Amino acid sequence: MQTIIDFFNYFSNNYSQILEYTVEHVQLVGLAIIISILIGVPLGIYLTTNEDLAGTVLQISSIMMTIPSIALFGIMIPILSTIGQGIGFLPALIALVLYSQLPIIRNTYTGINNVDPNIRDAAKGLGMTTMQRLLKVEIPNAMPLIMAGIRTATVLNIGIGAIAAYIGAGGLGSLINQGISRSNNTMVLVGAVVVSILAILVDYLLKYIEKRFTPKGIKN
Amino acid sequence: MIEFKNVSKVYNGGVKAIDNVNFKVENGEFVILIGPSGCGKTTLLRMVNQLEDISEGDIILNNTSVKQSNKIEMRRKIGYVIQSNGLFPNMTIEKNVMIVPDLLGWDRKKQQDRFNYLMELIGLHPDEYRKRYPHELSGGQQQRVGVARALAADPPVMLMDEPFGALDPIIRTKLQEEFLQIQKEVNKTILFVSHDIDEAVKMGDKVALLRGGKMMQYDYPSEILHHPANDFVSEFVGQDRVLKSTSLYSVKDLVDEVSLDSYHEADSAQPVNEDTSLRIVISKLLNQEADQLVVEDKQGNKKGKLTLELVEKFLHKEVKETPNR
Repeated sequence: MQTIIDFFNYFSNNYSQILEYTVEHVQLVGLAIIISILIGVPLGIYLTTNEDLAGTVLQISSIMMTIPSIALFGIMIPILSTIGQGIGFLPALIALVLYSQLPIIRNTYTGINNVDPNIRDAAKGLGMTTMQRLLKVEIPNAMPLIMAGIRTATVLNIGIGAIAAYIGAGGLGSLINQGISRSNNTMVLVGAVVVSILAILVDYLLKYIEKRFTPKGIKN
Repeated sequence: MIEFKNVSKVYNGGVKAIDNVNFKVENGEFVILIGPSGCGKTTLLRMVNQLEDISEGDIILNNTSVKQSNKIEMRRKIGYVIQSNGLFPNMTIEKNVMIVPDLLGWDRKKQQDRFNYLMELIGLHPDEYRKRYPHELSGGQQQRVGVARALAADPPVMLMDEPFGALDPIIRTKLQEEFLQIQKEVNKTILFVSHDIDEAVKMGDKVALLRGGKMMQYDYPSEILHHPANDFVSEFVGQDRVLKSTSLYSVKDLVDEVSLDSYHEADSAQPVNEDTSLRIVISKLLNQEADQLVVEDKQGNKKGKLTLELVEKFLHKEVKETPNR
């Protein structure tokens, strides 16, 4: 009971600080996802035309996912120090972009590849150019899978983004980080709960966007 | 006109899927490509619109080599229908049907008029289906829409790859008959792949029978049935080939060749009209209830009696005298 009271007290006393961290967090993850989409979706589409490269790229992005985030941050410090960006926003952004690639590339690749071959054949036989087939037929029909990949990447990034506080990238991880070093359990709890709520809300938002972007004819 | 000149398709490793095929489809002709699975009929069809490369030889489409044509532009001038209909699930029926006109940049008004015309042609109400999606339609309706889509930009040539193959027999028969009516109106040059000899005999002006990539026989359906070029053709069309050929003739054809027995009011006989196919006549005659039929013309005048003996006489004449239909 005391925990809950402490939780709400902390929350109301530090309202503006929490909001600031949340905004930082959203900025970091948001920018990372936008960059990831710009890289991952075209790459995923391209890979459908190059099966050999597809295997390699998907393998590399799978390996990427297995590197613990804290280790990745550590590796990037000496590398990015050479341009004076060893800690802070940039390494965090790079790490999040790298982690997002697997779900986005894989889902785009699978989505486009799974378009019914008969539909693709018809599109070709009716005289569509490669670009027209992609824009009018393949991408619209792969949309649910592509959006699912983006959603997975975003929720994943909100979690990993909390760890980025260790390298001074700010965000909601700062609450958890500071809470642990001060042995302040309430602070840790507030950080954890807010991160979770953020992830759930964003997931809902993306689900809504996914519905809007999915052509009517392929909804059930 | 579609002309196949020494066309071959060789895959890596030297396997010949199509082996030196030569034949011509004249303007307005409806030609069926038929043969067992793996005979290369679909490959041959897909070589016309260059979905498959031609290894050797050439195909001349309306005086132009398809090898030298711009693939994209050429395909927009060829109607293409496939077995699984290939409608785009993300587009409404109108968008689906109007794909090629849209690619060709037709204006909105022209597209709407064409859509309305085509939907009437295939027997679906334009406004009822305009905004619907393919998954909301039955298999038969989807296939009709597929035909409308192929006809959209009024191409002179149509390629059809087993368009009715995936439908149940009742719907298939219905669509075959509807399509023959449509063909009467639009008069396209059609190359149509089928694996069903009954369909081929019923639909085609001519039939091209393939085996292992080689042309076995290219001729009128009656010739294929009455005078198979070799054992394979004879086996493929089946031992009941004479029976099959009866669906090629109507009562009228018979009346033109042989004279009917005279008819007396006292005789008990079932009436048949002149457009009835001989196949149905035989089936009726074999039925115990009617051992003779009375032929009526469109005005209902009784022209005479029709018996099994007469049908037999007619078929003997036809088979021997090599008719050219």
